[in-house]
Amino acid sequence: MSLQTTRTDREETAADGPILRLEGVGRTFRMGEVEVEVLRDVDLEIGPGELVVMVGPSGSGKTTLLNLVGGLDQPTAGRVWFRDRELSACSKRALGEFRREAVGFVFQFFNLVPTLTARENVQVAAEIVDEPLDVDECLRLVGLAPRADHFPAQLSGGEQQRVAIARALAKNPELLLCDEPTGALDFETGKAVLAMLWDVNKRMNKTVIIITHNQAIARMADRLIRIRSGRIADDVRQDHPVPPGEISW
Amino acid sequence: MVSPSALDRKLIRDLLGSGAVVLAIAGIIAVGVSCFVAMRSAYHNLGEAKDRYYARCRMADFSVELKKAPVSEASVLGELPGVTEIRTRIQQFVIVDLEGVDAIINGQVLSLPDRHAPIINDIVIRRGGYFTGRPEDEVIVNDAFARHHGIEPGDTVHLLMGDRRRGFRVVGTAISSEFVYLLGPGAIVPDPSRFGVFYLKRSDMEAAFGFEGACNQVVGRLSPEVRDRPDALLDRAELLLEDFGVASTTPRRDQISDRFLSDEIRQLGTFAFVMPAIFLGVAALVLNILMARLTEQQRTTIGTLKALGYSDGELYRHLLKFGMVVGLMGGLLGCGLGHLLAGAMTGLYRQFFELPRLENRVFPGVMASGLAISVACAVVGVARGARGVLALEPAEAMRPRPPEGARVTWPERIPWLWRALGTGWRMVLRNILRNGKRNAVGVASSAMAAALLVSGLLGRAALDRGLEIQFSLILRSDVDLSFRDTCGRGALLEVRRLPGVDHAEPTLDVGGTFRNGPYKKRGAITGLIAGSRLTAPRDAEDRRVPIPPAGLALGRTLAEQLRVRPGDELVFEPSEGRREPRRVPVVAIVDSFIGLVAYADLAYLSRLVDEEFAVSGVQLEVDPRADRREELFRELKRLPVIRAVGVREEMIESIRRTIVDTNAAATVMMVLFAGTIFFGTTLNASLVGLAERRREVATLLVLGYERSAVSRLFLRETLVINSVGTLLGLPLGQALFWALMQTAQTDSFRIPMADPSAAFAWTLVVGLAFSLAAHAVVVRSIGRLDLQESMRIRE
Ligand SMILES: Nc1ncnc2c1ncn2[C@@H]1O[C@H](COP(=O)(O)OP(=O)(O)OP(=O)(O)O)[C@@H](O)[C@H]1O
Ligand SMILES: [Mg+2]
Repeated sequence: MSLQTTRTDREETAADGPILRLEGVGRTFRMGEVEVEVLRDVDLEIGPGELVVMVGPSGSGKTTLLNLVGGLDQPTAGRVWFRDRELSACSKRALGEFRREAVGFVFQFFNLVPTLTARENVQVAAEIVDEPLDVDECLRLVGLAPRADHFPAQLSGGEQQRVAIARALAKNPELLLCDEPTGALDFETGKAVLAMLWDVNKRMNKTVIIITHNQAIARMADRLIRIRSGRIADDVRQDHPVPPGEISW
Repeated sequence: MVSPSALDRKLIRDLLGSGAVVLAIAGIIAVGVSCFVAMRSAYHNLGEAKDRYYARCRMADFSVELKKAPVSEASVLGELPGVTEIRTRIQQFVIVDLEGVDAIINGQVLSLPDRHAPIINDIVIRRGGYFTGRPEDEVIVNDAFARHHGIEPGDTVHLLMGDRRRGFRVVGTAISSEFVYLLGPGAIVPDPSRFGVFYLKRSDMEAAFGFEGACNQVVGRLSPEVRDRPDALLDRAELLLEDFGVASTTPRRDQISDRFLSDEIRQLGTFAFVMPAIFLGVAALVLNILMARLTEQQRTTIGTLKALGYSDGELYRHLLKFGMVVGLMGGLLGCGLGHLLAGAMTGLYRQFFELPRLENRVFPGVMASGLAISVACAVVGVARGARGVLALEPAEAMRPRPPEGARVTWPERIPWLWRALGTGWRMVLRNILRNGKRNAVGVASSAMAAALLVSGLLGRAALDRGLEIQFSLILRSDVDLSFRDTCGRGALLEVRRLPGVDHAEPTLDVGGTFRNGPYKKRGAITGLIAGSRLTAPRDAEDRRVPIPPAGLALGRTLAEQLRVRPGDELVFEPSEGRREPRRVPVVAIVDSFIGLVAYADLAYLSRLVDEEFAVSGVQLEVDPRADRREELFRELKRLPVIRAVGVREEMIESIRRTIVDTNAAATVMMVLFAGTIFFGTTLNASLVGLAERRREVATLLVLGYERSAVSRLFLRETLVINSVGTLLGLPLGQALFWALMQTAQTDSFRIPMADPSAAFAWTLVVGLAFSLAAHAVVVRSIGRLDLQESMRIRE
């Protein structure tokens, strides 16, 4: 399946209304006796095709929020919708289905399966969805076709992160969630990875959420959300996002 | 071909990655399955060969032994309801005189119809043919005897019958279903060099033994309804033929050859489940540990796959496949190995059992169950070990693992003890105590292996002990004579005058039935003279038990079966003489390991059968010089009253040759099998430990510890765990041995308690040797540890 047709598909289905909606969401962790309230009263709507960047200090709850949105976790208060599906009311099994169909994750530490080659790492994701993108096409897209048969241990950090992006793309998800995708990378490599995410957002019209510590990256966002102590401190729409290639930090 | 999914490729690489451990576990499974397959196959091989053979020879369902009865009278048995067919025959014991053989050979002669007809207990001709119909002295010899002595059709053998030495031309050799396990008088293992069966024409037998129109045995077949419970019928038969001196009535299950064969088959049936159960149990435990480790190791990977949308079920099945592959590997290997082993066992059985077409066949059902069992065991092990996967929350798995609560172990709370230990031992102890579950499995596995080994080695020790007790403490005569009929004092005096006889003691065997209320057992009482030297009954502590002047010294097995204790009375009904039931007190219990025994004073026993002084055999102490012995044997062959002669040395020798050698092969197998467990579990525990502590080990190495010092830490752990396990396994092995012996115990054998110290010592040695072998692999793994990579591992 070519990227082109997918794009038109998406444009048709990307109807009106938000793709994600959070209402009064809270998340409390219980550690023995103590309860830690990590997220409090979060209201948020994200539209289809938006490129959202979330920033905030360490421990402010960014990953926790992303996990709720990606169906990896459930809120302890409030409700989360993906289109008209209420994630906060889903069973574990249904959440798994949701992740399978709709979400692509890119993790801070890549999380590739060490005993699988780059291609197989992409395949492992592609194999469980009905309409995956072509595996080699995805690898080509992230510029790793020549390294397809290498194991993660034989790839640099940036290359591994690109494999992770290819893996997230291969499922052809509506939602791409990236938790500090450049955290472990140097400036140039980080930029290349961000450029790729930008491309995916603009050309394939996917909703992309990127978490980062790096304020400079925020300039590429359609929308910048600042999180502080488990609350949304700031939510700004940026009318002229700057492509990552033009950002410097 | 469909290429394997990415997940399957991961599986394959995981398997390859755990190489040595996976092989070791598959090895343990293979051993268990091979035991199962070997024993079940041998079981079917023997069982099927037996059934075929019994059908072909029309094996009798019962026999009645008589003193002498007219055929017309004996034939009334054929009219009893449930009896479908009978045959009367004549059987006698003779001494065989072979050209160039000085030793005494005992023989049993049996009548066959002059012309071949399908009969009960028919023979199968092996070489030559049936009687020719010419009026000549012809004999058919049992094939094993002929083979052993190189007798061919056309040769002549001489039999001492009555008071004549007669030559018979061998027309053929044959086998028969009633002599699958052929025992001479007094023997417990077959010895074709010293005992043979000789089939003569009925007409010859009648003339030679004065049995015209008479017989002394009736063999018969029963209808299916009564075949399995012939006792009532046999009681009636005994009553019917009372006047003709019924010596015994023998249902098929008491027929000697059938009993040995059936006992063996039954035991195979039991062992085929006990042994594999132990191995497969251990394999499942070890797999459980390995999988728990793999799952823990792959926490992040599994979390990631869940985040990608893989369901719990898919991932769980993925790990179960791991078990299936290991199980299949072990199962296939085990089936192959088991088939070979079954071949070896069947080969061994061919030495004991004369069964035609006893071949090692492949039983698809057995193989399939073997595979199914091994896969099931592996999957169970994995299923438990991999349970962690189900509980794992993906969001949780992505986070760094909370540090293990550095639990304080109990020795650390005992300051003086803790201070007394070196750093090395402290690390060892902490690790052992913190990995409770894994080490418990290690302890349990080595305990199982040790138990197996102990039980195997004890078998050998018990056998040696049994032989020692039987042939140097209890039975101490060099030569045993038994007479054709009960004789008087004269016979004893005559024997005393024979050349080379230093000392002679008379014995009297009286067959009959023991009864105690509902308990009943057929057997014999052996009469000994007061203060007899050559038979010296012993108690459990090997102390001599004096023969009471009145009453019985009863063998333990018999006493247990009849539920009597010293002081009780039982009823003995002799099968000879006036056959009047007598009440006899049980005075003492003696231990005996071969046969059911009961001893009484010879004079007392004589009176029981209304004689003044009766003798049915003589035990001799003889001059050990070879020429004197030959002279004695020559004289014995000339004595017509002698029915059979037993020579102790030859008896012991043949037992050693057969049982002991077989046992040696079994012991070697046992050592290898138990060693597989020691090796496999040690390897697994150490490598899993190494994988968990790679960082720690690498740190020690980086700090400048020698690799040998680090591997010593692992060795200590291994030794502590295996020693604890092995020590626990020692008494466990003794218990296992006894449990197995309870099923193996028969009327013919009782297994004595042997001193277990040698078995214990060997078990420790073997355990240590195989643990060290496994440790060698661990040392190699430590040697190959990639320091940089290990330091980089995120934990
Ligand atoms: N499973 C959990 N159990 C207990 N506490 C948790 C759990 N997950 C997160 N927390 C706590 O919640 C807070 C927010 O965590 P989170 O990972 O969302 O922060 P973050 O904004 O992503 O920080 P960073 O930028 O360092 O990644 C932290 O204090 C963390 O310790
Ligand atoms: Mg985070």
